Amino acid sequence: MIRFLINRLGGSLVVLLIMSFIIYGLIGLMPGDPIDEMIAANPDLTSEDVAHLKSLHGLDKPIMERYGNWLSAALGGDFGYSRIHARPALEILMPHLWNTTVLMSIVMALSLAIAIPLGVAAAYKPNSFLDYGANLISFAGISVPPFWLALLAIIIFSVTLGWFPAGGMETVGDGGLGDRARHMVLPVMVLTLHTVGGYTRFIRASMIQTLRQDFIRTARAKGMSDIRLLIHHALRNAILPLVTVVALGFGSLFSGALITETMFSWLGVGKLIFDSILGNDFNLALVGLLFATLMTLIGNIIADIAYTWVDPRIDLAAGAGRA
Amino acid sequence: MGWRRHLVRLGSAACAAVFGFALPPSALAGGDLIIGISQFPGNFNPNINAMAAKTYILHMARRPITVFDADWRLICMLCTELPSLENGRAREETTSEGKSGMAVRYTLKPGLKWGDGQPITTEDVAFTWKVGREPLSGVTVLDFYKRILSVEVHDKRNFTLHLDRRTCDFAEINEFELLPKHLEAEAFAKPAEYRHRSLYETDTANPGLWYGPYRVTDVVSGSRVVLEPNSLWTGTPPHFKRVIVTTISNTASMTSNLLAGGIDYVAGEIGLTLDQAAAFRSRYPNRFKYVFKKSLVYEHIDLNLENPILKDPRVRRALLMAVDRKAISKQLFDGYQPVANSVVNPLDTVYDPDVRKVTYDPSAAGKLLDTAGWKTSESGIRRNAGGKPLRLQLMTTAGNRTRELVEQVLQSQWRDAGFDIRIRNEPARVFFGETVTKRKFPAMAMYAWLTSPAKVPRGQLHSSMIPTAKNGWSGQNYPGIKNTQLDETLDSIETECAPAANKMLWHRLQDLYATHLPALPLYFRAEPHIMPKWLKGVRPTGHQYASTLWIEHWRGNKGGGVK
Amino acid sequence: MWSRFQRHRMAMISGALLLGLAQLAVAAPGLEILLGVDGGRVDLYQRFQLPSLAHPLGTDELGRDLFVRLAYGGQVSLSVALVAAAFSAVLGTLVGLPAGYFGGRFDDILMRFTDGVISLPLLPLLIVLVAVDLEKLGVPADIAQSPNAGLYRIIFIIALFGWTTVARLVRAETLALKTRGFVRAAHAMGANEATVIFRHILPNVVSPIIVATTLSVGNIILLESVLSFLGMGIQPPMASWGNMLTNAQDLMWSAPQLAVWPGLFIFFTVISFNFLGDGLQDALDPRALN
Repeated sequence: MIRFLINRLGGSLVVLLIMSFIIYGLIGLMPGDPIDEMIAANPDLTSEDVAHLKSLHGLDKPIMERYGNWLSAALGGDFGYSRIHARPALEILMPHLWNTTVLMSIVMALSLAIAIPLGVAAAYKPNSFLDYGANLISFAGISVPPFWLALLAIIIFSVTLGWFPAGGMETVGDGGLGDRARHMVLPVMVLTLHTVGGYTRFIRASMIQTLRQDFIRTARAKGMSDIRLLIHHALRNAILPLVTVVALGFGSLFSGALITETMFSWLGVGKLIFDSILGNDFNLALVGLLFATLMTLIGNIIADIAYTWVDPRIDLAAGAGRA
Repeated sequence: MGWRRHLVRLGSAACAAVFGFALPPSALAGGDLIIGISQFPGNFNPNINAMAAKTYILHMARRPITVFDADWRLICMLCTELPSLENGRAREETTSEGKSGMAVRYTLKPGLKWGDGQPITTEDVAFTWKVGREPLSGVTVLDFYKRILSVEVHDKRNFTLHLDRRTCDFAEINEFELLPKHLEAEAFAKPAEYRHRSLYETDTANPGLWYGPYRVTDVVSGSRVVLEPNSLWTGTPPHFKRVIVTTISNTASMTSNLLAGGIDYVAGEIGLTLDQAAAFRSRYPNRFKYVFKKSLVYEHIDLNLENPILKDPRVRRALLMAVDRKAISKQLFDGYQPVANSVVNPLDTVYDPDVRKVTYDPSAAGKLLDTAGWKTSESGIRRNAGGKPLRLQLMTTAGNRTRELVEQVLQSQWRDAGFDIRIRNEPARVFFGETVTKRKFPAMAMYAWLTSPAKVPRGQLHSSMIPTAKNGWSGQNYPGIKNTQLDETLDSIETECAPAANKMLWHRLQDLYATHLPALPLYFRAEPHIMPKWLKGVRPTGHQYASTLWIEHWRGNKGGGVK
Repeated sequence: MWSRFQRHRMAMISGALLLGLAQLAVAAPGLEILLGVDGGRVDLYQRFQLPSLAHPLGTDELGRDLFVRLAYGGQVSLSVALVAAAFSAVLGTLVGLPAGYFGGRFDDILMRFTDGVISLPLLPLLIVLVAVDLEKLGVPADIAQSPNAGLYRIIFIIALFGWTTVARLVRAETLALKTRGFVRAAHAMGANEATVIFRHILPNVVSPIIVATTLSVGNIILLESVLSFLGMGIQPPMASWGNMLTNAQDLMWSAPQLAVWPGLFIFFTVISFNFLGDGLQDALDPRALN
């Protein structure tokens, strides 16, 4: 196991290195630069100004050279300044990362809190009314276009009913816990509706699978109560695959949900990365993307580990040349 | 009866806690103005990175030396009077290199102070010039500062700028954004690092950086900027206790926030587009005050004159005649973005009211195309003698809803006239970075310029300004028009300053433009302001210098109560 | 198997719904003739018309008939989704099966590559791909400038990213199958690798692939609508449910019906595909985990 972990972590670092190269190259490949857009917006800007600004930001140097500069600085811990914000890139990233992680953690926790009981209940009584209901809700959740849902939520709950603010993270002059909580309700609701569907179906399937197994029948025959059965035996076994799925979603805690963040003006990392890419802000984009990639890779490792627990017949180490 | 009052208070506190309803702070404090804009300023240094959102906010807390007012006339904001040849403040001279230049003398108003009490003097002027000319500092309008060969300081308030050319707009130094020497000199010690070390970025709330009626007191990056009155301001005292400019990048959120009371005013300069605002207005016509100010943003279609089909001026004229721009304006924009007939805005002082106007005349367009050799065929698309179809590609920035709508209308109307128009859109950065600047658009490129009052469109129309690989893609003459009369007129306008003669040259320019049609004029945009009914005194300008330059004249009270 | 499928009521309903939708999409040109309208013709004087006999669902922001546009949009959205899903499935199998079967270093490399692609930032890649000039790549001008060029582009891009899920799935299934009794038996009997792969492994992987692909179609439709939201999807004037929805976002005050219909169509199509996939799963592979 230890060897496996070291192997994977080492592999992840390699992936990160390659990713940084690819991302840098891709952003560099994107034709044009936002500086060019300035000409249409500022009558006093001349083409010479544009050319000068481009060279100031090093845009006329070959991409390999720029990547090399970035890499040598990054390996030393210096991720450079954000071009758009004129502040260190890490300094801009951190608050946005925090906002996203808070939001997504609540969403994930809430989704699981709803999905597990719902999935278990649906699995317990398959094809019942409850099962159909749970199925319908989960399917609906994953089928709705996210920005349509956000729009509807804003129109219904914010404009018409006035219960919740239509966006932003806090009211000016307030910022207390209650205020922030109220601002979080709609984005959390929209995101949760989407994720809860997937988790519910997964738990349900997993539980049905587990409940079919022999040891359950044995325990039931021995007279164990249903609830005890469900929770102590079945759920424990059914949970492991869920860990896999959750681990795979680990990365999303740090890459955010671009659409929701945009619709609700939630200052998260998804929108930050989007804007920084469009703004050719290499340093900021790289810092954000690499962090998200790292978290995704870690999540993948956890998922793979959990997967072996699920199906002991799969031996990941067997790939290393035995059998 | 104390316990009953206690109970009531407890009760309402409980209710407030349960429902989370707190009275909006504005109703309690009385005097907050919350403005919604669609972008957040990337940074705050006025000289680095041009952004409309930044200008909007900075104009509340800073003033330029000269600027265009709401009537599009040049005025002094920090100077005492505008230099002119007549009042002796401006005179022609020869530069040290023997070229013809000018010396222009300004006097700063007395009593100007930075927000920390330091007086604003010509030392700041000289310092700003130094920063502006420094290539490593990252200043956006480097060229503007380079035109000023030197700054001659006479005393604390008088200085003379020595310019490297003779033009009629010598008095305009709107882009000269003063920097406080006593605060910024240290950051500028290493010029290459200036843009990162400037106090505008590291200590934005420092009062010494601001000298307008308001000063920036708080910034929540990406979200909002809070401004409060500057106690050292000597002009008209500002009305609002706090101005909060909050960024909402999504239109739906913006309008929802407006309705829900989260913001009071959607800024016209950098808020919604006109059709978004018009749609909102049709739904809530009486709830807000709508001001649609015609602006200097010129929407047009550049025609690549090297395209064999577009080389023929008859085809270009037919293109223009085949579209009902009036209907577009009326139906899509409720008439608020009127048809443009030339590159000059009708509200501009140099506009020629008699300029040749092209009206919608599809049959005349058809006849013109017939004469030009393009005959109708059964498919509806015209072909020339060689069988080549009348096919042109129309390009614009992807994701711009308004432009996409207009494109589709145009395509449909042109189809009726026999043109086969293929639409191809690109993200703005590609469009401006490659396609337009390097003249890679095969036929038509639709976009907008922001221009200035009475600004000579030399870069766009002079034959020496055609971007080529050889000249490093410098210049904005994307259509590639090469017309000697046009060149002569452009050259003369900048030097012939006598009002009557100058006006005649402008008329000639517009006439030539309308005759040769290097671009198809579409319309001038309008700034849609959605204001609360209680807000008074706002005068939208319609050009790049925002209405917030006169924010001290805005007043109004929200009135009591929750929404 | 068919009877198991029939038992899944929702799947049956979904199947029927989708067939109906497909028919509507295919019949789009016929609808135009029936109603006597031209789906692409802009009529500035007929904007935002409410439903009437001439226009069953009303008109959009440029006076075009909404119903006809929805039908054409269906053509686009469905064809993009189905073709892209099919491509992804093929590509994913090509990667996942060998990885799972041969294991070892080969597996490691392939999976790291897959990981890498999953972690690739969608956005800069999209911008680059959207901006690429097809003619420079050698695509004949006829195709590159045709209105369908955007369609081909989107399908290509989505397939480029979509194969990873199938790859992981196929690899996992192959890994599990490899150790199963009948595969060992085949080996023991001396069958060569190719035979084992094609005759034993592949048929058993097909069912999960079909299920996964069906389920992915829904995601692709959503992805296309999101891409339109970002301005990188199907470009107007070509209608797709996604870009009809984002256009309507700006008009939610004056004409909310324009936002309701495309959204509903997307919703029902996606949910139908999901139910269908679920039904297929029950029918084809009742013992499998999601």
